[in-house]
Amino acid sequence: MNSRRGDYLPQTPVRRKYFDTLRRILGPSGLVSIREEQFFLILAIAIGILAGFCVVLFRVAIGAARIWLLGSSMHPSVPRVVLVPAVMGVFIAIVAVRFFPRVRGSGVNQTKGALYIYDGYIAGETVIGKFFLSALAIGSGHSLGPEDPSLQIGAGIASALGRWLKLSKERLRLVAPVGAAAGVAAAFNAPITAVLFVIEEVIGRWTAGILGAVVLSAISSVVVERWFMGDQPLFRVPVYHLDHPAELLVYAVLGVTGGIASLVFVKVIKNIRPRLRRLPQWSQYLQPGVAGLLIGFIAIWYPQVMGAGYEWMDLAMHNRFPWQVLGIIVGLKMLSTALSFATGTPGGLFAPVLFMGAMLGASVAMLEQQLLPAITVPVGAYALVGMGALFAGILRAPMTSVFMILEVSGNYSIILPVIICNTISYLISRGFQEVPLFDLLSRQDGLDLPSLEEEREHEILRVEDAMHPVLGRALLGDETIASARGIAASIEGTHFLVSLGEGRWSVVSRETLINPMHDDCSPVRVLVRARVPRLYQDQSLDVALRFLRDRPMLPVVHRGNFDLLMGVVSVQDILRAYRKSGLAEPETVEVF
Amino acid sequence: MKQETTYCTICRKPLGEHGRCGYCDSAANDWKLHDWRPLLTLALLIVLGFSFTSLVVSSFHEKEVALAAEYYGKGSRALDEKRPAEAVDALETALAFSHDDFQSQLKLTDALLASGATSEAHAQLQFFLDQHPHNALINRKMARLEARNKHVDEAVNYYQNAIEGEWPEGMDPLAQRIATRFEAAEYLISQGRNEKAESTLLELASVLRTTSPEQGRLASLFLKNGDPARAVSVYQAQLDVKKNDAAAILGAAQASFAAGNYPAARHYLAELKSETAESRALLDQLDRMENLDPFAQSATGQIRAQRTMAAFRIALERMAACGVPFAQAMTHRAQSTNIKDPALWSGFAKWAEQLSPMMTERKLRGRDDVIESTMRFAFQAEMTAQKQCGAPTPNDQALLLLARERLGVQQ
Repeated sequence: MNSRRGDYLPQTPVRRKYFDTLRRILGPSGLVSIREEQFFLILAIAIGILAGFCVVLFRVAIGAARIWLLGSSMHPSVPRVVLVPAVMGVFIAIVAVRFFPRVRGSGVNQTKGALYIYDGYIAGETVIGKFFLSALAIGSGHSLGPEDPSLQIGAGIASALGRWLKLSKERLRLVAPVGAAAGVAAAFNAPITAVLFVIEEVIGRWTAGILGAVVLSAISSVVVERWFMGDQPLFRVPVYHLDHPAELLVYAVLGVTGGIASLVFVKVIKNIRPRLRRLPQWSQYLQPGVAGLLIGFIAIWYPQVMGAGYEWMDLAMHNRFPWQVLGIIVGLKMLSTALSFATGTPGGLFAPVLFMGAMLGASVAMLEQQLLPAITVPVGAYALVGMGALFAGILRAPMTSVFMILEVSGNYSIILPVIICNTISYLISRGFQEVPLFDLLSRQDGLDLPSLEEEREHEILRVEDAMHPVLGRALLGDETIASARGIAASIEGTHFLVSLGEGRWSVVSRETLINPMHDDCSPVRVLVRARVPRLYQDQSLDVALRFLRDRPMLPVVHRGNFDLLMGVVSVQDILRAYRKSGLAEPETVEVF
Repeated sequence: MKQETTYCTICRKPLGEHGRCGYCDSAANDWKLHDWRPLLTLALLIVLGFSFTSLVVSSFHEKEVALAAEYYGKGSRALDEKRPAEAVDALETALAFSHDDFQSQLKLTDALLASGATSEAHAQLQFFLDQHPHNALINRKMARLEARNKHVDEAVNYYQNAIEGEWPEGMDPLAQRIATRFEAAEYLISQGRNEKAESTLLELASVLRTTSPEQGRLASLFLKNGDPARAVSVYQAQLDVKKNDAAAILGAAQASFAAGNYPAARHYLAELKSETAESRALLDQLDRMENLDPFAQSATGQIRAQRTMAAFRIALERMAACGVPFAQAMTHRAQSTNIKDPALWSGFAKWAEQLSPMMTERKLRGRDDVIESTMRFAFQAEMTAQKQCGAPTPNDQALLLLARERLGVQQ
């Protein structure tokens, strides 16, 4: 291929020499080589940059679609408000069902599916479909947000690059979450939030190998986003100070309200979505249109429910609506979003969740201002905290929700109210809705993706849960075989631990010990073939199993004194411990 | 989709036995980049992506800027044409397209204020202040808003911050500070913060050029603030520069009148080349005062008696208007008898009853004690009536001014 590339050039001796040198350096057997781990980090940066471009273009596409379809005013004319979401809903449904069936549904779950089911594969047409159909849906006023599609667009780009570069299976699986982090980071203009979200919701574990790549991709995509869109945060956040600790109690009210609102929203989606999916196939073409029509009618009086609604959140933070109006908007937005999402219109839930949180927070703040005039209730801060509360309650990503608010507000002093509200909201939501929203959606779609929240809740079994005490005492390496045989005679078991001193341990079998070929006066250590690793009580049984391999047992020692034997662990002990722990069977978990 | 593993992932040759590549000797799962072409392709992709994104974003940004400008214009026009609700909508849209545009944000607060959404405007301004605490323009707007909300201390503080703050580019800081001081002084006077107003006016006097057309405004504010002497001196300074300045002459006359220097007031009024309604009113007032003043040195005994009788009659009429029955009987006026403080007025009625027989020219002539007592009665009655019975007539006003001059009582 290399030789063919230069064929059309006149082959002068100098030029031929130059090309030969270049081929030697850059060619398949060139002078430079990069291992996959190193290349993965470089690739993460490239993914971040390319995902950043795509997310920027996606935002522009949404803006352009908004202007084109609804006009440039924040208060579009009534015919447009009513007709555009409905007509575009039908158009989107036809295109989605016919050409891009996978664009319907949650991008988070599709990225998780790529990680856990499809070996990192996300189809290119899904990315293209998601880009254009989501832009049209959000731009035409459907109550959905751009973050979830951005996440999937990022993951899709990463998947395509990984396949093109023929990465190993293991890396190919991980590359989709790397792209997802880039997509979310660019969409929120918040790299820490993106990293946490992907770790917390998609990957579910902190591993050094993936963390570096996720961080690099998130940062590079945010750099791209800021290069093109400026470094202003999503919202113009008023300055906030916590004047008195008693204010935290008032914030707790918002936490409770946010928890209840989250619960209502999840229950609505949980009940509406399967019912709509059970309707005849032809109705799939009409459902987004009907949802659009309803949204249009609502928007005649409350245009705030249309689209992502960031500009309205900004206004709510600056006392622009009375609390009654804000309360009504929360309810209508909840209905609009549930309709848009449940009918399969492409788009995400993040922005509507933040919108509902902001409006609810501002509403509670304004109500409290009236009821408790003595207490300082800054509306902007409440709106922000409300966003976090609903994010934690609906999306069930408590860490992400806290850091998202910090990144969006740029104000560390808001952390206490955010943590309090998010925790309360999260606990209420979890208490009354066992399955988190994303897991619920994946199960409704017939996928059994690992529930990371459930995994987090699983009790980790440790060595101390499986080990049993040593009967008698361990044999000493320096004692005579005769003495050891005497000890062994009084203890049951086929194998015995041997302490070799200085924290070294080994195992000897009864058969070896009682073998008459060995001299009685020789020390036990002559019977020992190899040392065995030692375990500690706090290590997980997973680690213990890896160390055990085909060994009959392993010593469990004190971390401060390696010669002090705390117990013994064998494979049977570990199996017994797992049996005893009795995890719930997957099919017994609530699905619908 | 499953990863194809029958080919080497590095050199793309078919894998040999045991999953090892016969060409580059890599294991099936080993992955090494020996070829820089993918990296070059990635770099090229990034360059192309950057160029395309730049092109798209810049053209969309231009569109947004144009729309923002269009809506800003619409909003400004609507505000100028007193359509604040429309202005708010337009400016909100402008901000949706360029949400950091300071001019649009400020204009939006004006529109919000005009539409009566003061709490929204306050929140908006507070946000700007948090961002730009030393911005004089925002502080002045905040001061106006606080003044409107009757938060006097806050308004005064914001005015002070505006005077000391930094003015945005394109605005003359000196002129703006002077304008803000004037505004602050007017507000302070309206709120009765005379000391603070006086110091603000003195600061203004020190920075205003003597040729400034604002000198007249300054003098009138001194006058409003109860410092007619300083007002006269400012007007006089203005007249020193421009002798025939009619407004300054009239102002000086009014200030002199307020200072109790009636001859000076007459002198200034005499200098006026053309009479105005205000000068005529002032002259009439001076004439009325002169016609009611029995203590004027030039007045003969007869005139003193006549003026005393006139003052007594005016005071009785005022009492009758206040509903005092005796006065109504004396003046033959049947008006409402809804009297506020009957005990107080009955004292005045007795006093008038005692004085009434003396109210003839003959009896008053040479009786300075009676004249003094009658005038004291008239002054006291007028002052009491001013507190209880509403606005005085021009004659009552003249008596009150005489009272102030004679008794040293502030009106």
